[in-house]
Amino acid sequence: MNYRTISALALAFTGFLAAQTPTAKTSSKNWTVPRTPDGKPDLQGVWTNATLTPLERPAAVNGKATFTDAEAAVWEKKSKDDEAKYDGKADNPIADSLGSGGTGGYNALFVDHGTELARVDGVKRTSLIIDPPDGKVPPITQEAKARNAQMMRSMSRFDSVKDRPLGERCLTSFGSSSGPPMLPVLYNNNYEIVQTPENIVILVEMVHDARIVRMNATHAPTSVRQWFGDSIGHWEGDTLVVDTTNFTDKTRFRGASENLHVIERFTRVDAKTILYRVTIDDSSTFAKSWTIEYPFVATKGPIYEYACHEGNYAMSDILGGARKAEAEKEKK
Amino acid sequence: MLASLLVASTPGLAQQVYHAPKGPDGHPNLNGIWQALNTADWDLVDHSARPGLVVADGTLSADPGGIGVVEGGEIPYLPAALATKKKNFENRLKLDPEIRCYLPGVPRANYMPYPFQIFQSAKALFFAYQYDGAVRNIFLKDPGPAPADSWMGQSVGKWEGETLVIDVTGFDERTWLDRAGDFHSDALHVVERYTLIGPEVMSYEATIEDPKVFSKPWKIRMPLYRHVEKGARLMEFKCVEFVEDLLYGDFARKPK
Amino acid sequence: MMANGEIMKIKHIAAIVSAGAMLWAVPAWAHHAFAAEFDAKKPVHLEGVVSKVELINPHSWIHVDVKNADGSMTSWMVEAGSPNVLLRRGFTKTTIAPGTPVVVEGFQSKDGSLRANGRDITLPNGQKLFLGSQGTGAPYDEKGK
Repeated sequence: MNYRTISALALAFTGFLAAQTPTAKTSSKNWTVPRTPDGKPDLQGVWTNATLTPLERPAAVNGKATFTDAEAAVWEKKSKDDEAKYDGKADNPIADSLGSGGTGGYNALFVDHGTELARVDGVKRTSLIIDPPDGKVPPITQEAKARNAQMMRSMSRFDSVKDRPLGERCLTSFGSSSGPPMLPVLYNNNYEIVQTPENIVILVEMVHDARIVRMNATHAPTSVRQWFGDSIGHWEGDTLVVDTTNFTDKTRFRGASENLHVIERFTRVDAKTILYRVTIDDSSTFAKSWTIEYPFVATKGPIYEYACHEGNYAMSDILGGARKAEAEKEKK
Repeated sequence: MLASLLVASTPGLAQQVYHAPKGPDGHPNLNGIWQALNTADWDLVDHSARPGLVVADGTLSADPGGIGVVEGGEIPYLPAALATKKKNFENRLKLDPEIRCYLPGVPRANYMPYPFQIFQSAKALFFAYQYDGAVRNIFLKDPGPAPADSWMGQSVGKWEGETLVIDVTGFDERTWLDRAGDFHSDALHVVERYTLIGPEVMSYEATIEDPKVFSKPWKIRMPLYRHVEKGARLMEFKCVEFVEDLLYGDFARKPK
Repeated sequence: MMANGEIMKIKHIAAIVSAGAMLWAVPAWAHHAFAAEFDAKKPVHLEGVVSKVELINPHSWIHVDVKNADGSMTSWMVEAGSPNVLLRRGFTKTTIAPGTPVVVEGFQSKDGSLRANGRDITLPNGQKLFLGSQGTGAPYDEKGK
């Protein structure tokens, strides 16, 4: 299947959503989108996707897709007050939530969720998911539940390095920094885009992943499977559309399978913002395809090296600790 | 001028200076997928074939032997450093960072036996390597001294005529320069020169300086070849997964 | 001026938000297994001198030489967070010079090795390292957003 067929199917899938390009035009007031020498919108620079808006709409604001400015201000102030409260303290809800039993964890200093809720078309959103309209991940299939259960059991096993989460093994980051889809995580939510006519590369800081999008290309054969899939891109007007398939069954985005198919759309909507909209499709995992939308905001660089595996002293400590605990248990 | 000097000293190449078509930034267009075709990653200096370190791998892990890429033939080690190099060589199965899928550093990344890709836009320059997904973001404006050491170093690029010159500092001392135990300290300073000498060939030179390890700066030089096949692309080579048992196997639970 | 309806809604949100959990909720799989690495039953108190600062990922490690009562020296490694976060605030590899005295409160590694999680790392002037936005020991660098 070539990219044209795939995009056509994707458009059909996302239905009315795809038909709507973002209402913030690529030129407003005195701003027109900067262009590269080949006439395409320039997406280059360093961007962050840190945001206070969670992926799924919290139960407390069910039915409410957006906040008024006043409501958003309350939320954002609460976040700011919390940060001030935990600033300089060894303990905070994150350290506690790690179930660390008091051994400590990330201080507030390391938490990078930005200072604002996600704002799209000038309005603050209560969830990154915009479809389904309830702002929640669609129901998971039985098959996927079994797969996920397998993974959760393994999370608390220390028999071997293979039992540990991908982030702990330095194979990917904790969560979906690179994805695709690209989602914010606890910190280092930084990305750099370099754009040529033939290729667009997205450098994901954590874990130094270069997502290479081959423009106007065809997908790799289905026998080729990669952690971040195989990404091809094309322009639809002023929107970059990136289509990714060929995932392994190890990526585990929300329990997804190797049939995961991700379509991302990047639109530069103002000097400091790229609007990111992504549709996730995997019928062996999710009852229906779903869509996330939120902004990537310009940030001062640079991207620093995140080498991970090279400095992963913790892994031997974690496994060694488990072995020691077992040995002590056996003595008794 | 460099290109013509290089051409003059390299027999068999065209005698004219090659003027490459320009890229989006008005400089010679280096966009593409490139790869070294030599054995520099096995050993930077001339060496004959050597047996591998893993009996079960047979020919696969043997060193095929190769022609060196060091100007002058030898690497000018300080006496104490030469002793360290020899120890590295003897213990390379345990010590070579490549075996452990560690980031390769510079210049080694450029002559590993895997392709890498250069992205050159109107305002940015970026290198992506197939090996372990190593990356180099090339600063076009000097950001000052690197605030922390990194495996791939901090690269600052500028053009001198038709040559891209990249100045690399801020290295973590743990990378090696090849599989034969050639090494450096955190004082390593590398200056690279990339010049297109034909539509499909680039001349690559790196001057290596490290007063803690070498008695003077020294140079390596080699051609880099463009992948011209249709549909050429980098594959994902996330080798971390493949070395987990090597690094952490001893910590696994033993069956009773 | 806010209508009564809006004031009600805002109070409602404040109530939700004060639950706190949502803003700081981190899924179980989304973080480092500190509890698996360090032992809450083995607190350590170290007074020593920094010999080396490894600004590496996933976590920085500060090497601390501790002089024992008998005059011998023990080398500890103390774990901190991702250096990238610190670098963005102006911290560099020279910010904490080798030879700087520090006091470390932490928990020892479960495998019994001389490693600890640095719950509290205090400099001679009382400043606590890496804890707060002002606590890096370096100039606070406003993140450009």
